[in-house]
Amino acid sequence: MTNDQRGLPGLDAALARGLTSRRMSRRNMIKLGGISVGTLSFASILAACSGGTTTSGGTQSAGSVNFDPSTASNHVNFANWPLYIDKAHGTYPSLEKFTNETGISVTYNDEINDNASFFGEILPQLRAGQDTGRDIIVITNGEYLAALIANGWATELDPSFRPNFDKNAASWAKSPFYDEGNTHTMAWQSGLTGVGYNTELINKAPTKLDDLMSTEFFPPSSVGVLKEDAPNLVMVNLGIDPKTSGQDEWNQAAEWLKKLRDSDTFYNAYDQGYIDDLNAKNLSGTMAWSGDVLYYKIWAGKPYEFIMPADGALLWIDNMLIPANAKNPAGALQLMDFYYDPPNAQMLTEYILYMSPVPAVQQLIAKHAQQETGTYATQLEQTAQNALLWPDQELLSQVSLGRNLTTDEESKAWHDTFDPIWEQ
Amino acid sequence: MGQAPPDVKGHIPQGVELPPARQGQRALERRRRLAAYLQLAPGGLYMVIGFIVPLAIIVYTSLSTSGLFSTGGKSVFSWEWSNYSTALDQYHDVYIRSIVYAAIATSLCIGLAYPMAYWIAFYGGQWKSTLFMLILVPFFVSFVIRTVQWNFILGTNGLIFGPLKSLGLVSQDFTVLRTPFAVIAGITYNFMPFAALPLYVSLERIDRRLVEAAKDLYASKAMAFRKVVLPLSFPGIFAAIILTFVPMTGDYVNAVVLGGPKTTMIGVIIQDAFLVRHEYPVAAALSVILMAGMLVIALLYARALGTEDAALAAA
Repeated sequence: MTNDQRGLPGLDAALARGLTSRRMSRRNMIKLGGISVGTLSFASILAACSGGTTTSGGTQSAGSVNFDPSTASNHVNFANWPLYIDKAHGTYPSLEKFTNETGISVTYNDEINDNASFFGEILPQLRAGQDTGRDIIVITNGEYLAALIANGWATELDPSFRPNFDKNAASWAKSPFYDEGNTHTMAWQSGLTGVGYNTELINKAPTKLDDLMSTEFFPPSSVGVLKEDAPNLVMVNLGIDPKTSGQDEWNQAAEWLKKLRDSDTFYNAYDQGYIDDLNAKNLSGTMAWSGDVLYYKIWAGKPYEFIMPADGALLWIDNMLIPANAKNPAGALQLMDFYYDPPNAQMLTEYILYMSPVPAVQQLIAKHAQQETGTYATQLEQTAQNALLWPDQELLSQVSLGRNLTTDEESKAWHDTFDPIWEQ
Repeated sequence: MGQAPPDVKGHIPQGVELPPARQGQRALERRRRLAAYLQLAPGGLYMVIGFIVPLAIIVYTSLSTSGLFSTGGKSVFSWEWSNYSTALDQYHDVYIRSIVYAAIATSLCIGLAYPMAYWIAFYGGQWKSTLFMLILVPFFVSFVIRTVQWNFILGTNGLIFGPLKSLGLVSQDFTVLRTPFAVIAGITYNFMPFAALPLYVSLERIDRRLVEAAKDLYASKAMAFRKVVLPLSFPGIFAAIILTFVPMTGDYVNAVVLGGPKTTMIGVIIQDAFLVRHEYPVAAALSVILMAGMLVIALLYARALGTEDAALAAA
């Protein structure tokens, strides 16, 4: 890929990209979209009342789906998060490449603003056993992914049709504990939840999660918390393994969070939108997603740093899966596997700066950096060298994928423990 | 052969034999009545589909059970009254806070909008319409965008406090956002036009000769206002309070954008329960409690202070 392909003539490619398509955090779309009622699917409430008992209509038995590429129809609908794919001049180069290679066209919709509301949106069709209109969706590991799998709403994949995945997937992307053997999911991208801060606003560089509540490190009323990720991140930093944690451990984490909430440094707790407050300088430091902070640091030149707290961080994985009764599962699996071919995965990483499930991409970006010049080369170099994008075994030993909630009782106990902290 | 005389209003009593011409008149009357119903029908149907049906669904859901894993998110009706006790147990503080915030903001709205509406109605002259349009101008910008802008304006280092802090006029730790002040200020701003509209309408309708008469009878300006203008504008004040207090209590945009964990309002809890946790039954119970509470407050209020003109002023 050359500058010219990616940018505007005469402009540094990265700068041009920054000017023409400011990339927000893929999780950064303000949830206020909910106000437009779009996310509160009225249909889902209607469907919620549609009698019957506990059967899940969308269940598909294993082996009932044919994944043979020769049976794939010529169109795939792909639902993803905003600004989570390479884009140039209104088109998606990697998807075009896929279409050229396979003859399968792709409709790409960046319609997922958060797991919960998207789940609510497709719930009525899933429950009715209907096609959701999407062949691939991307869901973060956690409660909703667990519910999709448990209810039979994620199509079971045929492992014999994903050669690139077998050959190139990172160790962490293979057989994650929430989906052993990748029977239903394949990682799209991943990232860390750690601590991000503005070097110009802090008093002293933090190293531990505990530092968030100390004015020695952060000015008063300037620290943010990520509500959804905080419990797991805190447990990791209390030396608790979230995976096997129970009510007692959750209470400890809740106590820690209450302490932070009542400390002088605390500013606010976020579902999303924390990065806006970091950019508006309302926050000096915050629990943050690696990709967000790295983007603003590397591509926008902001004085930001992202650290993995000394006692560990939270790893999350956004997973591609095929909803039950999708029209073109064979084409969908082909596309999912396409992104495990290193040059294709490289196109994504160079653009979105999240953790790629294809480690070979690191070498390719380093090589690409040598072919480029100027700022763009430096930025690619920084991308290739950033330890947080290419986790080694040592780093992986310090991260956790968090607690997987798999029953209503667990889910209720979890929410009853943590939600009231932010809903006083 | 005597013909039955029509009654004074031209109404033809039932069962009276009429010559063909008079029968035509009765058919015409029936058509007129039908036309009246037909005029009501579209709006009525809209209300049934848009309000009555969802309301029934919400009540039904509030008495159901559901779980992501056990029922696949489906609400199963089970007379689950415990949803109501759970909602009240966990969130009674938030309900009270929402009502207190809304009450304060409503008073502020009336306090700020009344003089404005008064001035426009009494002294606006030929500029009345223009001035009144100015009050409505903010409506041309989305509610959410306006609130988010407040976030920038009131930010720790934002438009107001950034410069004040760099000049050393305000301490570095000073923050307005995430405080009750910010949330109440936000809702007051966003709902003020709803107070201004009915106030203006009721003030504008006041016969100026009544004020003159009061003055002729040696009332001072203040007394004329207190004894004549204010009582005559009560319907407007009543309508303004209903139009602002009720939606303010359920508002969640301001609490989300300008507030923090200690300023949560009930709207935030409901939206979280619906959209984040998918606990539809509890969310529905929370909504029903809010709605019922508002209805009771509004009825008590109407009984105590309301007048028949109130609805008119609101219209």
